Amino acid sequence: MFINNSKLAWQFYQQEHKQAHQRLLRWVQGVLLLFIVTLSQSSDSIQNYLQHNLQGLLGADAVISQKQALSAQQYSVVTTLASNIVVTQQIKTMFTHQGQWQEAQLKAVDSRYPLQGELLTSKAIQDEGQVTKSGPELGHIWLDARLLASLSITVGETLLVGDQYFLVTRVLQHEPDRLMEGHSVAMRAMINTKDMQALNFAADLIQYRYLLAADPEQIAALINWQQQHLPAAQVLHKQGKHPLALFWQRTENFMGLASIILFFMAAIAIEQLAQVHMKKDQYFTAVCMSLGASKRTGIQVSIFKWFIGIVLLLPVVLVLSTVFHYAVINFLSETFTELTWQWDIFSAIKPICAVVGIFAIFHMPVWLALYNSSVAKQFSGNNKGLNHWLSKLSSVLVLFGIAFGYSDNGLLTFMMVTAVALTIALMIFISWAGLTLGEKMTQQVSGLIPFTLFMMKQRLISKSTQILGVGLCAFLLLFTLMLLKDLGATMSSYQRQHDGNVFISQASKTQMDYVERWAIEEDVNVRQIKPYMHAKLVEVNEQSLTEFSEKPSDSLSTFSQAIRLHWSQSIPENNALVDGQWWQQDSVQWQQISVEQEVMTDLGLKLGDWLTFFINHQRYKFEITASHEFKPGAGSITFWVQMPATALTHIQAPQYNMASLEIDDDQWSLLAPLWQKYPTLRMVSLKEITQLFDNTLAMITKVISGFSLMIVLLAGVVILASINALESKEKKKNSIIMSFGFSRATCLKLNVIEWLVTASITAIGAILGTYIAGLLIYQSQFSLTYQPNFVWLTLTLALILSVITGLGVYASRANLRSSVRELMSST
Amino acid sequence: MPSYIELKNISQSFQVNDSTITLFDKLNLSIYQGESYAITGPSGAGKSSLLMLASGLEQPTTGQGQYVKNDQIKSLDDLRTDIGFIFQQFHLLPELTALHNVALPLKLRGDKLAIVKAENWLAKVGLNHRKNHKPSELSGGEQQRVAIARALVFEPKFIFADEPTGNLDQKSANEVASILINCCHENNAGLVMVTHSEKLASRAQQIFSLADGKLTQPNNSNPKVMLCS
Ligand SMILES: Nc1ncnc2c1ncn2[C@@H]1O[C@H](COP(=O)(O)OP(=O)(O)OP(=O)(O)O)[C@@H](O)[C@H]1O
Ligand SMILES: [Mg+2]
Repeated sequence: MFINNSKLAWQFYQQEHKQAHQRLLRWVQGVLLLFIVTLSQSSDSIQNYLQHNLQGLLGADAVISQKQALSAQQYSVVTTLASNIVVTQQIKTMFTHQGQWQEAQLKAVDSRYPLQGELLTSKAIQDEGQVTKSGPELGHIWLDARLLASLSITVGETLLVGDQYFLVTRVLQHEPDRLMEGHSVAMRAMINTKDMQALNFAADLIQYRYLLAADPEQIAALINWQQQHLPAAQVLHKQGKHPLALFWQRTENFMGLASIILFFMAAIAIEQLAQVHMKKDQYFTAVCMSLGASKRTGIQVSIFKWFIGIVLLLPVVLVLSTVFHYAVINFLSETFTELTWQWDIFSAIKPICAVVGIFAIFHMPVWLALYNSSVAKQFSGNNKGLNHWLSKLSSVLVLFGIAFGYSDNGLLTFMMVTAVALTIALMIFISWAGLTLGEKMTQQVSGLIPFTLFMMKQRLISKSTQILGVGLCAFLLLFTLMLLKDLGATMSSYQRQHDGNVFISQASKTQMDYVERWAIEEDVNVRQIKPYMHAKLVEVNEQSLTEFSEKPSDSLSTFSQAIRLHWSQSIPENNALVDGQWWQQDSVQWQQISVEQEVMTDLGLKLGDWLTFFINHQRYKFEITASHEFKPGAGSITFWVQMPATALTHIQAPQYNMASLEIDDDQWSLLAPLWQKYPTLRMVSLKEITQLFDNTLAMITKVISGFSLMIVLLAGVVILASINALESKEKKKNSIIMSFGFSRATCLKLNVIEWLVTASITAIGAILGTYIAGLLIYQSQFSLTYQPNFVWLTLTLALILSVITGLGVYASRANLRSSVRELMSST
Repeated sequence: MPSYIELKNISQSFQVNDSTITLFDKLNLSIYQGESYAITGPSGAGKSSLLMLASGLEQPTTGQGQYVKNDQIKSLDDLRTDIGFIFQQFHLLPELTALHNVALPLKLRGDKLAIVKAENWLAKVGLNHRKNHKPSELSGGEQQRVAIARALVFEPKFIFADEPTGNLDQKSANEVASILINCCHENNAGLVMVTHSEKLASRAQQIFSLADGKLTQPNNSNPKVMLCS
């Protein structure tokens, strides 16, 4: 019985294998399975990596990290809260060697380092790393392989850092506390702590890390203490979150969004295809039943047939997803160093089961229809009742389930679902209103257009499903493309912010004075110099920053570290006042601050809010009295946060400068001596900056284009599926029209008009939908100001829609191959 | 002089896997506007095929057909706009009400009075009270009556009907046959019916039998004239 049925199902499957409805179903299911399996495998790899990273690369049970050293009193408190402490110091500095220069992270450790984990070094680059029990001796320096290569230096040579000579003695292979570097790919060097003191770097430029051995209770006490006494410090511990978690969460937000969209489209496509499957399987079941078999046979065969389709799809999906997984990991290893690809079949099983289950629910209407009907009904293939709506409802519920289950960002998901729901409602409304109005208005006019409108109005339900399917695809595609374009624009606006071809991001007072004198001597053009000090935002209206702002944004992640606080008596030439009032020239009220407008929206700040900054170990409170924005044309160095110059008399803190220089091609060699003198002078060429942004943009472009490709693929399938679902109806309609004495050309014209109307309704719906989604999602999640460019929108839409109309007319050409003869012989 | 369709020496054969199937050979038939014709014969004889040839939807293998309209000789292609069809399966559009189904050909032609004319025709076939019902809510006989109204509403010169009562029980078959024949007559439309039913055939003015590739006319004349109900 069972075997018989599966044999029957196999035959039935083979017979249908090449038919459009099976082929389309394979495409939808294949594309979606591929996406989900690849996503979850990649996601698993990264979670594993981060977890492993946190456990293995913290190099301690907890780490306190801050600029400047702990005071003696603070240090003694920490010793009581931990069973062991090792201190490291890091600074970003420029290394120069025989005319070559390279910025790298210099780390100073003492003999007790490392606290936990293994420090690996070697004698030569190609040697295997050996476990090393403590850091470098006095006068020695260890460099990593890339830095050695970049400076063209080898073990045994001497290297000048500042005014001290160091002997390169070993190759630095692996530090156990690398985690703190996050996804920084900076090159590395290591010296002894005592040498660090001799190098005499400005104290506040050095990042101090206290690696602690502590049990969970001690860690809890430590965090408690830190929040009260060291609010500006960063604490990481093994029970906590990986520092990259935020970055990864934002990536996952995007992916979560992606999967909802794709599932939604798949649901529409399968819903359309199910109508054809239903007809075929009902007919088959009816034949079975009229031959005396039970209804169960029909249902079983239908289920087996569907299952065979899935099983045959799996090997293809697994092979392709492995390839894609490999590509994704390779691609991400630029961001996550040491992320390696591992083939893991088990991480694929769970998502496959889940997705197949979901497909089964989408496919349920077919089986329900078989279950709920009699022989007569099976032949006529006509039943729309409670079950029909029940299965629709369950599909919708499943979609909501996926939406909330898959994404870890409830707010984003909620907004996406709202945007999609609003778009659907809008499109249904526009379809109804547009067709009703169009039909009413053209009632007195003769011709094909009024007739098409009339026919579409009569077929509103099936038509609006089609419009919805196509419209949502257009909407999603448009939204994705907008996102891509806007991210690109944001990136290039970052680039524009720097004029001059060399940019100094951090120069102390003495360094800047020296650079200015050097510039005059060497005839180098200094474009702009602007002063700032480091300030860490700790509280908003007496509420800690993390409590105040919960949603992840670029601004928030920037504010989790110290920012640059600029002062200016009058409003800078390259800024414009957006809101509030700039301080008076001689205002005695110095506790005023102006915050950049986008930051205000991002963090949800408003005028009158009080911000507490930690500046050089002291708390300072400022009231937001103004908000400014960047105004192009007068130099590019601009600051997010600015205070009155009079505040300087109240704040004791080291001051730095940002500057931009214009250097001729033949002057580049002049930079080496400058770095030789001041290794901590942070100076980059525009080319390097541009490259950095280009790389980021390239990564985002790749991700989004890959995703758009998925949408385009599914959109094509949705269009074909909706045409496939209506094919027999359309054929019949065309035959009937021809039986009234009209030619095939008339049918073609009607078809073109119908697709044009469909496309225009879709267009309006998609534009409005994109607009709504933009308003809802853009600002809150991607920290981008949403300014729809309607010309661009319209152009893209015109393109998308002509493609839709073209594809629609082309794909439905089979419907025109109908004839009156078919009406005579058809049953 | 009424318009008429003339088939002269037509043959129809198909090439199926190397062998040639000949349905009929050198067949002659004239169909006059205002007259009714019935074609009977065993299944597979080629009745439907003959209907397709006569209505100009298909080309004969050899021989030729012509359409004489107002004493002008035209090709059968010009027949297209002057004919209507009625099918065994009714083939109404399921989304449209009876009224809109009937109005459909007029709407396509851009007739502003489509709805009024359609209402008139529904009344003629006795379905005025059901005009707002969809085909799924109508019985087979009623659906075929709607189809008759739809075929005649744009005043074609000829109606071709393939087994118009094939799907109906005896009682509604009789009703539908009466309506079909009477309405065609009243509208001065030529009617060509293919049928297996002796009874229906006997109501046509001219009866043909197609068998073994030959068209014969067993008993000529059957002049019964009725009025539309
Ligand atoms: N295009 C074609 N190619 C090949 N064979 C055809 C074609 N059209 C019709 N035939 C064959 O010609 C024969 C006559 O078909 P037709 O439909 O005209 O018969 P019929 O007299 O209407 O039969 P029935 O009473 O069963 O409807 C059939 O055997 C059919 O298979
Ligand atoms: Mg036939």
